[in-house]
Amino acid sequence: MTPNSTRGTISRRTLAKAVGAAVGTLALTHPLGTLAQDKVTIHWWDQFLPIAPLEKKLFAQFHDKNPNVTVEYKVYNPNEMGQALQLAHKSNQAPDVSTLAGIGLPARKLYEEGWFQKLTNGVQIDKSLPAGSLLEGFTNFDGDIYSFPTFSFRQYTTLNWFNKDLMKLTDSDPETGPKTWEEMRAAAKAITDKGNGRLFGWIFDLNFTDRIAVHLDELAQTAGAPGGIDPKSGEYAYATDPYAQAMEFLLSMQKDGSLFPASSTLDARAARTRWATGTSGMFFDGPWNIGVVQSDLKEFIDKVGVAPVPRPQGTSNLIHVGPQGGTFWLSAQSKHPEIASDILTLFTTSDYYVGLAEQMDQPPLDLDAVDKANVHPTYKQAVGFYKNEVRLGPSAVVRNPAVSLVNAEMKDIHPNLGEITQGVFSGDVKDYQAALKTYNDAMTAERDRALKVVQSKGQRVSQGDWVFANWDPAKDYTTEMYPKGQ
Amino acid sequence: MATTPESTSVPLAARGRRGARQGVLARLWADRWIYLFLLPTAVLYSLYTIWPIGVSWWYSLLDWNGFDQHGTYIGLANYREVLQDPFFWHAFEHTFVFALISVPVRLVLTLIVAVMLNNPRMPWASLFRTALFVPVVTTTAIIGIVMQFVFDPAGGPVNLFLLKFGLIDRPINFLGDSSTALYTVMVVHVWKWFGVTMIYWLAALQTISTEYYEAARVDGANAVRVFRDITVPLLKPFAIIIGVLTFIDTLKIFDLMLTMTGGGPYFSTEVIDIFIYREAFAATIPRLGYASAAAVTFGMLTIVIAVVQLLAARYAQRARRTS
Repeated sequence: MTPNSTRGTISRRTLAKAVGAAVGTLALTHPLGTLAQDKVTIHWWDQFLPIAPLEKKLFAQFHDKNPNVTVEYKVYNPNEMGQALQLAHKSNQAPDVSTLAGIGLPARKLYEEGWFQKLTNGVQIDKSLPAGSLLEGFTNFDGDIYSFPTFSFRQYTTLNWFNKDLMKLTDSDPETGPKTWEEMRAAAKAITDKGNGRLFGWIFDLNFTDRIAVHLDELAQTAGAPGGIDPKSGEYAYATDPYAQAMEFLLSMQKDGSLFPASSTLDARAARTRWATGTSGMFFDGPWNIGVVQSDLKEFIDKVGVAPVPRPQGTSNLIHVGPQGGTFWLSAQSKHPEIASDILTLFTTSDYYVGLAEQMDQPPLDLDAVDKANVHPTYKQAVGFYKNEVRLGPSAVVRNPAVSLVNAEMKDIHPNLGEITQGVFSGDVKDYQAALKTYNDAMTAERDRALKVVQSKGQRVSQGDWVFANWDPAKDYTTEMYPKGQ
Repeated sequence: MATTPESTSVPLAARGRRGARQGVLARLWADRWIYLFLLPTAVLYSLYTIWPIGVSWWYSLLDWNGFDQHGTYIGLANYREVLQDPFFWHAFEHTFVFALISVPVRLVLTLIVAVMLNNPRMPWASLFRTALFVPVVTTTAIIGIVMQFVFDPAGGPVNLFLLKFGLIDRPINFLGDSSTALYTVMVVHVWKWFGVTMIYWLAALQTISTEYYEAARVDGANAVRVFRDITVPLLKPFAIIIGVLTFIDTLKIFDLMLTMTGGGPYFSTEVIDIFIYREAFAATIPRLGYASAAAVTFGMLTIVIAVVQLLAARYAQRARRTS
């Protein structure tokens, strides 16, 4: 062998070194997902403190099957999460998966701003969900699946939670509680009268204006309001009699002296805690109330009873709610969409729905799972009320996704429904009917303005998108009922 | 060639400038360690104070919700809307009412306490000084939450005390009534920041030589006379700066107001900070441009008020001298 020929040959050792270096380089630089054993961390943010143990369990199960994947899970305070998400997206540090708590912008608008990427296994997820769960404008955009609901739409927030011991002081049944406005007012007054200045009939979270707006709206619906917007006409309905009647009902309990005196400074958490001390009889809250009582106020749980949203004597009006939007969203900044989508499938199983029910937060997408779950009897009662009293209302966004652009364009109007209610209780709003009319007119004018702005950008949208002539308040408004050819 | 004064003046001036420049450079070099140590503060101040102020001026010209990649330039439309917004003016009024009442109260009360604590014959002066300063170092948000319980109409200690001594016949809803909420927060604010203003006064009092007091006492002056004719005149230069610092402190009440009342009931305690926060972060659709315009407008109006106040004070001073 000549010196020249040796320069052109490669020894086995050199070859092994070269191959080793190439594989090492590939392993370090190749995109994740192609090498199965690469360490992957999925960042996950949500605000579901009561169901955090369930989620941690699911993540641990996924990790057991995929040891290279770890989920870094963070539970946020809902008030802080919106800001955290906003900052994270701007600095390109968005979590792979998150909810949209604290963000008022419609998901459609965020989609247009490039916040999300579609689920890589959308078809598989679609098959595992009840029909009609995925809706264009809510979970799907331009035909692709971006998210899915995990909670049932069939729920409301104005359950009347009561203290069974204090209910014994009233004429209402201490197990079932008051059913009507008149019964509730009488029960609240009886507790207050017999409490000798130490007990009050009703506690109201007046410092949480968003929540009291919901309560007023749901009470107005029991009095016959169709909701904030009348589907028959497409007009705002806040200036109609049922809203004034609901306000009058709430105010009557304050006039009776039945309102817990510190209510004006309480938000929902503080009001719940004060209610659980046994100083007040009744408290409006959603189904999650019993979940929080079980986890944080356990010594009170045996005294808890629940009644449906009270309604005017002799009425049987239903509560109408819109479709449920997506719960979890896959960030456009995620580098692991396949893995994140695989984890999300764990949130569509019947085991998950049973587990979700057992956390007693919002009811699961599959309400029948509640019957199989080990839950407090009041939670089962609440879900039973929902089955009877809640109907799916029509949604202008489902009919025309461009409506969400109008919603995004609309500026907040103040004082809003909750602020008016707060002002009525503090005595600052003397004429609530006039205030409701002003709010109604301002909302109408603002929607008209927003419509013009969105129309000027070339979108085909009009006030007619809010009109549903075929709406029957007694029935769910299912996807096939939407006007065709829109 | 004969050199004219004109022709020599240019190079002389240039030399002078160069000399001055060299002088500046030499001074900078000589003080390099000072500038080096100032650098971190300067950088941080620029990043966290000057930059946000500058950028909020730009944002105030945009229609921007903070989620869109870019806002839309709308000129002065936000300013026009701010000036017509009754909620802005209510917040402006609440902020100034808060300051106009709590600043004098805080200045006077802290001065009285500082004079007492400055007296060498005062027993346990250090203990009282520390006790009065403790709220200053306590987290404001925690104080806000605790004070909700203190002023609670259902069993709060303040109401229990007033009821027990027959001062009231039924509990007062201090924070839940729009006629009392702002004043209740003022009381807590004065108590919370009492220690800071008191320390300012103590520092100022300690610059006054004891010889003046001794001389006054020898002349037979009583405590009131000593205070009026010695302490007050010598504290005047300090009073202005302490007053300004206290006023600035009083404009920064966001955390206390948010935790105690959240701006309610029915906007009755909504100060400008809460208004800005509501528009920028608590709105269904945030309006960063509008909130920035409100912040800039408030800042400008405060400057205008301060300048008018300064000019009026000077005018009054001159008029007094003339008369």
